[in-house]
Amino acid sequence: MFTQFFGNYLLRKQLVTAEQLSEAFKTQKGTRMKLGVLAINAGLMTAEQVEKAHIEQQRADKRIGEVMVDMGYLTKDQVEDLFKTQPAGHLLLGQTLVDKGYMTNAEFEKAINAYKAEASLSDPEIKNTDEASVRKLINNFYNFSSRGGSVYMTNYVSLLFKNLIRFIGDDFVPMSPCSANSSIKNVIMQDISGGMNMTSLVYAEKTALIEFASRFAKEELTEDDEYTQACVSEFINLHNGLFAVNISNDTGMELQLEPQCYYDEMDMIGLSRACVLPINYSFGTINFVVQI
Amino acid sequence: MKILICDDSMFVRKKMKDAIKAVDPSIEMLEAANGRQAVEKYKSEKPDLVFMDIIMPEESGVDALSEIMNTDKNAKVVMASSVGTQENLKQAILMGAYDFLQKPIENADVARIIAKASE
Repeated sequence: MFTQFFGNYLLRKQLVTAEQLSEAFKTQKGTRMKLGVLAINAGLMTAEQVEKAHIEQQRADKRIGEVMVDMGYLTKDQVEDLFKTQPAGHLLLGQTLVDKGYMTNAEFEKAINAYKAEASLSDPEIKNTDEASVRKLINNFYNFSSRGGSVYMTNYVSLLFKNLIRFIGDDFVPMSPCSANSSIKNVIMQDISGGMNMTSLVYAEKTALIEFASRFAKEELTEDDEYTQACVSEFINLHNGLFAVNISNDTGMELQLEPQCYYDEMDMIGLSRACVLPINYSFGTINFVVQI
Repeated sequence: MKILICDDSMFVRKKMKDAIKAVDPSIEMLEAANGRQAVEKYKSEKPDLVFMDIIMPEESGVDALSEIMNTDKNAKVVMASSVGTQENLKQAILMGAYDFLQKPIENADVARIIAKASE
């Protein structure tokens, strides 16, 4: 999940464009990690040293690992360890951006270090992606502590991200949250009642909803019709259901879901405390709205 | 074998039909979009097995389960929901549900339930 927030950081700092990030997400599966990015991320080498090693490699005609050892930047064991470690998602993204020429090694080094400092996350926390680290990332980003129901909001959004990765894809970037205002179009709403009252909505441009539905249904959908709406409705129903199960298991509080409703257009009056969470996919922005 | 699928989501009904077809294409399938329709179809068609969503407009799956069990105490009604809490599970079994299916629907779970109902 660090990858998605790192993606947001890159956009926010205008280090890459939305198009470049989207392209990198699309192609990153075929990316082969290189020692330089791994060593920079591990804090074992600077970008400058990596560049020097690459220049030396062209002259010496040796493997890059050997060159880095010869130059005294890394030990043989460190090279082996770096290659052995399964690269985290954000590294794959970073390597793809470097390979495509959207960033240099130096820019990547600066960005990854700055983001780690901003998020106050250590390397093990990033690598482990355990519940506590995910919650920390989400709280840092959304600042739910300043809102009512912050614990539930954090639980809700943490699960939402997991479900997006599980059912839709990990190629998304969360954008800054905003407050609900004016009217919105193409909306699916589900109320939750019982131990607490919640309202959940999802809305987006029709083209984005169609692609979202296609990914969820694992079918090629092209029309904005009842079936497409049913697919998106089922995603939100599934997510809310799993949230209710978690709450029941963790606190004993029972929640009931109401049937979902679709609206071509609706006014956000009555949702003044709602938090809008835009999620950018390559196919468009999907907006989730939560009010507790 | 005749199976009644009751869910207000046409997407879930389609996925359920695909899962049943994968088990045995000869199984006859009936559909209902809410609890009221399900009760009517149950009475007229007497299916061997029912997959029933819980959260539906007009008449919930729980109410429909109750009505069907009053009509036929041997009815095999599987409750399906995304809210698979212990409480919901307990309530469904107490009301006479045959089984509980946690959404998202997995073909293997559908196959297991059909095999059990065919015994």
